[in-house]
Amino acid sequence: MVFVINIVSSSTLTFTLFLSHSLSLQAICFLKKKKKKITMNEGAIGGDLLLNYTDMSVLERQRAHLKYLNPSFDSPLAGFFADSSMINGGEMDGYLATAGLNLPMIYGETTVEGDPRMSIPLETTLGTGNFRKRKFDTVTKDCNEKKKKMNREEVTEGEEEEKSKITELNNGSPKSIKKMKNKAKKEENNCSNDSSKVTKELEKTDYIHVRARRGQATDSHSIAERVRREKISERMKFLQDLVPGCDKFTGKAGMLDEIINYVQSLQRQIEFLSMKLAVVNPRPDFDMDDIFAKEVVSTPMTVVPSPEMVHSGYSHEMVNSGYSNEMVNSGYVHFNPMQQVDTSSDPLSCFNNNGQAPSMWDSDVQNLYGSLGV
Amino acid sequence: MASADKLINTDVPEKDVFAFHFLQSLSNLRKQNPFDTPDQKNYRVRKIKKAAYVSMARAAGGSSRLWSRALLRRAAKDDNKIVRFSRRKRKVTWKISSKRRRSNQRAPVVEEAAERLRNLVPGGGGMETSKLMEETAHYIKCLSMQVKVMQCLVDGLHYNKN
Repeated sequence: MVFVINIVSSSTLTFTLFLSHSLSLQAICFLKKKKKKITMNEGAIGGDLLLNYTDMSVLERQRAHLKYLNPSFDSPLAGFFADSSMINGGEMDGYLATAGLNLPMIYGETTVEGDPRMSIPLETTLGTGNFRKRKFDTVTKDCNEKKKKMNREEVTEGEEEEKSKITELNNGSPKSIKKMKNKAKKEENNCSNDSSKVTKELEKTDYIHVRARRGQATDSHSIAERVRREKISERMKFLQDLVPGCDKFTGKAGMLDEIINYVQSLQRQIEFLSMKLAVVNPRPDFDMDDIFAKEVVSTPMTVVPSPEMVHSGYSHEMVNSGYSNEMVNSGYVHFNPMQQVDTSSDPLSCFNNNGQAPSMWDSDVQNLYGSLGV
Repeated sequence: MASADKLINTDVPEKDVFAFHFLQSLSNLRKQNPFDTPDQKNYRVRKIKKAAYVSMARAAGGSSRLWSRALLRRAAKDDNKIVRFSRRKRKVTWKISSKRRRSNQRAPVVEEAAERLRNLVPGGGGMETSKLMEETAHYIKCLSMQVKVMQCLVDGLHYNKN
């Protein structure tokens, strides 16, 4: 205890260190967003407190970390200590909540055994403004996947044994951040850290706590930036599944171009089809009931057994087959013959006579079709 | 696929909802313009196209999506009689201005593509990039659904003719 007091006499974290005296706890960085602040309950070990998968990964990591450091430790007990310190830390705005400590760890020194997390004091984030331009690392994307959680656990423990480069920071030493960052190597498959947003409300204050990755910039802007990038890449993946033919392109730019082309082609298709409809529409002897019957057949829902529907067993999926630029060009060719054909069609109006109406049609819909034929 | 993704909700209604709305708009058109004279073809084409978009926006969820809201608002500006769109009270978000200022720090590759996307997707001008992509996904689904409906309609007409 005396040892600790000597070192920290000049620090501003004295009383927090007192609180977390016997355990090594992880440092948390408070990242204040504009209106949202959601605190994290780091000590929530119980399963009922795990809200989303990032919670789970943080907690599992914490548990693994604690087990590594003190193999004889009882995890509920660890949680208890973490809880107490967390409560105090939550109240303090702008201070580091709990400085993770082992007793031999000296405040301000640059080696902390095992804890792969870095903490960011709030004041220095605003001060240093470390806007580093980061390359797109695909590792983040992988790390954020749920499936790789278990792998991460093993990786974490393995790497904690090998390397001990993570330091612990506090308010008063912004320079040590930079020193430490220069020292810390970036690892390729370092999935032991990811910036996870934990959203458990502890005291009804809304802080989004984000963990900084090892070896990367830790100020709030960069973290927010990283989180935003991950959101974007996640959505890009979603879009990639949606748009056919996107798997060839792996870069963001190519895929986005592809998506833009797809949207444009869809819009052109709509325009083309509306042109077709404009030409076709004004025929007086036009039986929309039958038209709708045919259209309905091609939807998966209708099973109406009526004679005129049998021979119109379309299932038109051709529309979504790629970009039909040629459709637009050939559309003009079609118009003329369509206009000339003005013979009276054979209105297969058996539909009206057909006693069976599909159950899904409302009466309004049927009125509509009647009015369309007029 | 949409329901499997917990984070982003891009469910679109079934095809018949789109069909219903589109046919409704077509019948409205027919009521207004009883004589579809072929000389003003472009006029009719434009009307039908607009009807298609508006019905798609309605079918896709009216005011619950940013793009559909923007589309309906744009349509309501021109035709006050036909398209009814009530203004919804919106909180003013300052996000756009602050983010645009720092736009040079966002990945420029992504941002220029996002700019083009913003021109395509209705209502994209006020959205941040991640939100834009959500809206784009939903928009793409609705567009493809609408295209299917229209294609079926056209094919039905073709068949009816032949």
